[in-house]
Amino acid sequence: MSWWRIGRREADLERELASDLEVEEEEQREGGLASEEASYAARRAFGNTALIREQTHEVWGWAAFDRFLQDLRFAFRQLTKNRRFTAVCVVTLALGIGANTAVFSVIDAALLKPLGFPDPNRIVQFVLVSHNGIAHGASIPDLRFWLDRADAVQDIAAYDFGQAEMGLTSGTPQQVHGIHVTSKYFRLFGVPLLLGRSFSAEEDRPGSPNAVVLSEGLWRNRFGGDAQIVGKPISLDQQPYTVVGVARASFRFEPQAQLWIPFRFNLNSTDELHSFGVAGRLKQGVTLAQANAQLDSDSDAARRRGTLPDPGWRFQVRPFRDAMTSDVRASLLVLQGAVILVLLIACANLANLLLIQTTIRKREFAIRAAIGAGRARLARQLLTEILLLFSLGCIAGIVLGLGGAHAVLAADPSDLPYIGTPGLAFGVDWRVLGFAAALSLLTAVVFGSLPALAVCGKGLENTLRESACRQSAGTRQRRTRSLIAMSEIALALVLLIGSALLIRTFIALNRVDPGLDDRNVVLMTMSLHGAQFNGTARLADMVRRGREQLAAIPGVEDSAATFSAPFASRMGLPFVSVSSRVPISGDGEWLAVSSGYLNVLKIPILRGRAFDEEDKAGAPGVVLVNAALAKRFWPEQNPLGKEILIGNGLGPKLADEPRRIIGVVGDVRDQDLSQEPEPTMIIPDAQMPDGLEQLQADFGPIWWLVRTRNAPQTFIPQISERLREVSAGRPVGTVRTMSQSLSRSMARQKFNMLLLSIFASVALLLAAIGVYGVIAHSVAQRTQEIGVRMALGADRKTVRNMILREALTTGTVGAASGLCAAFFLVRLLSGWLFGVSARDPAIFVAAPAFLLLVVFVAACFPAARAAHLDPARTLRAE
Amino acid sequence: MSKNEQQRANLLQGTLDMLILRTLLYGPAHGHQIGKHIQRTTNDFLQMQHGSLYPALHRLEKRGWVTAKWETPPDRNREFKYYRLTGKGRKQLGIEEGQWKQMADAVARVMWPAAGQS
Repeated sequence: MSWWRIGRREADLERELASDLEVEEEEQREGGLASEEASYAARRAFGNTALIREQTHEVWGWAAFDRFLQDLRFAFRQLTKNRRFTAVCVVTLALGIGANTAVFSVIDAALLKPLGFPDPNRIVQFVLVSHNGIAHGASIPDLRFWLDRADAVQDIAAYDFGQAEMGLTSGTPQQVHGIHVTSKYFRLFGVPLLLGRSFSAEEDRPGSPNAVVLSEGLWRNRFGGDAQIVGKPISLDQQPYTVVGVARASFRFEPQAQLWIPFRFNLNSTDELHSFGVAGRLKQGVTLAQANAQLDSDSDAARRRGTLPDPGWRFQVRPFRDAMTSDVRASLLVLQGAVILVLLIACANLANLLLIQTTIRKREFAIRAAIGAGRARLARQLLTEILLLFSLGCIAGIVLGLGGAHAVLAADPSDLPYIGTPGLAFGVDWRVLGFAAALSLLTAVVFGSLPALAVCGKGLENTLRESACRQSAGTRQRRTRSLIAMSEIALALVLLIGSALLIRTFIALNRVDPGLDDRNVVLMTMSLHGAQFNGTARLADMVRRGREQLAAIPGVEDSAATFSAPFASRMGLPFVSVSSRVPISGDGEWLAVSSGYLNVLKIPILRGRAFDEEDKAGAPGVVLVNAALAKRFWPEQNPLGKEILIGNGLGPKLADEPRRIIGVVGDVRDQDLSQEPEPTMIIPDAQMPDGLEQLQADFGPIWWLVRTRNAPQTFIPQISERLREVSAGRPVGTVRTMSQSLSRSMARQKFNMLLLSIFASVALLLAAIGVYGVIAHSVAQRTQEIGVRMALGADRKTVRNMILREALTTGTVGAASGLCAAFFLVRLLSGWLFGVSARDPAIFVAAPAFLLLVVFVAACFPAARAAHLDPARTLRAE
Repeated sequence: MSKNEQQRANLLQGTLDMLILRTLLYGPAHGHQIGKHIQRTTNDFLQMQHGSLYPALHRLEKRGWVTAKWETPPDRNREFKYYRLTGKGRKQLGIEEGQWKQMADAVARVMWPAAGQS
């Protein structure tokens, strides 16, 4: 059927009918009738032209389309007539579909989107597993162990975790994110190259010339897209590196890198520090289980021979994707569950609204059926209405979903991988959109059309006989509506309780005393990667000069420098006690700090003294411990004067001398506010073993902490300038205030709390609308009954209370079921909570009370309307 | 519809196509003429319901058994849409005629059995 010919065919038919009608008229006139009578007679003889047209259209196959257009026009009129109903339905649909789409799109980008590597499902990460945890970091002996066993896994590559910030030191200093990798990295992750090549096996060896691979972004921005860049040297941390290649911008990895340099491991090293990740690809035909079995037997054999690098641990391989997203997955899944609840509430609302509409229009359908509309015809028309309503809601939902997803991006919960990566184009998750849309459509169709169609059968006559005002819905429908309203209330309560728990967690976190004073402190990073600051002596010297320069700035109270700043990465080392009769050993967090650290952060000294000028290189080794360490390892004794040896057995690089404990400092929660402080050891930076200094400089920046009298941001330009001078041109990288670091550490909890609170608010709103709708409709149905009651002596108050009682009964039953559900479901949140138990009695009482209040308020309006009915009018109306 | 008309309408369904094709065998005609012809030839027994005639004509056109063209007859000064039988239409007429005869035969044998049959 060529649609463009529709018009022509119609015109043609018209013409044909007109001409034949004229002929008929002529014949009538010839038969002797007057001209006007003749034309009437002709028309009568001709018959119903509309019917002729219709049936011809049928032949042409347009009838269906014609009817659809007619239905559509009618549906549109219906919707614009009941504006309020349409608006509420569309909003409900939009909230349900939009919220789901937004959340699932974010989850999709973070978790489900396939990694853009070749054959990503065969990429595995090597991990060490013990009975109380998994370690993702590997040491060089571990790497050698795995490289020697290339049976099940190929293309084994190492990569660091990306805390290193390096400085481009030619021209304007600029800090860049660079990661160290081995040569197989490029092949394993399929890094597409724009120019040049990746690292060769020779460049993996220690002592090979400095090579670097740039990212396309850096190459364009910093080096102007120079097509001859391959082979040219660039200055990285004041050392010349030769560019060997440029990687395409389409390559994405976590952590995102702007350049790559080779590790150049000495594979014979016995360095026990676990500081990088190792990944590989399973060989064809090898499953994860087979690879793990192989690793197990190899480890056992090596353990028996005594050549296992990490005897206390088991080697395993895990899918790469899991390793990257495991800690985020749980929280995203809970959010997923919550947003599905919102969808269910939206569908329940929709169902109720449609049921109510059906009751109101029952009479209309009965009349239609009576004058000849078949069931199929009515169903088609109803479905068109529902589809139109649904499409409007769906479009609104998509818009809301896209907007919501972008809002989530903007909120930047910085530990969701792939989120907030500039240029990452993520789209709406169409599968989820489809699911949410399908569910809503199903609800709409079931609750919108079935009850209406039920009218067409036996109920037809009864419906027509009933007076317009006494349209009652029948007990079954009323009960269905109440049931739906109760389930909405129950689900809303679950979300409300969850959100309340998270809010209290967030408040509790905010109240935690971190043990340091975060006001008026500026943090700045500086990369010391490279030979210039190799060795503790040079570092300590630079730090000392830097502190002198900073002290000269008016308004600066004190300054300090360390590689392990609060809320940045932290090293952990084992230690053993040297002087006690009973050998004590343990692990603790470890910091090397310059003087001024305790003062800048206002960490109190509980016993003994802080570092002073005497504690420099060459002097007897000293260490400060925190109260947690003292309590755990010397609970009844005074730890002052005891000697410990740190980093025992970790290899010659970390060889240290025994240190005397000279003081105990207050506990600081400077990693995770919700965790108890770990035992910590602090040594002066001048006394740091060279090996450790080199390691830290290689893999992370140094942090400068500066305490100012007030308004820390205003000092930033001055401080960065002085620091640049002191470090001979190293750029300053990340700049923040300590308060910002503190808030960032709670970013994920804040994000979860905000999201769940949004869901709970939406759910409450929907539930309130639902209750209002049900009660208002019930009142509208019962106007006559209320009129009778009032006539028989009930006063306004009684009527109002009757309605309110009904609403509160629904609310209470709903709340009770919600409480039961919440009781079981809050277990899922227990990992997120801090400072509040999952079944906190206060919340479990306050939340339902609040919900009932909302229900009460929602029911007040129809109740008031019921109370102000004029019995005289309602009784007379028919 | 009265009972008689209803019966007649049922009879006409399916045979109307055949009657139209037969009418056009004589030569091209427009819709009104076809209707009048059938009415006259059956002595007004089959009254032309325009509601079924035009759909039928368009159905035949769609199936390619007739073609339609706007022409001016020589004795008038206005155009009519004339329908003509096509080769396919002629063949279809033959087929339907055969089928009708077979059916009439079968019905006759049941209704008025020849002597010697049950």
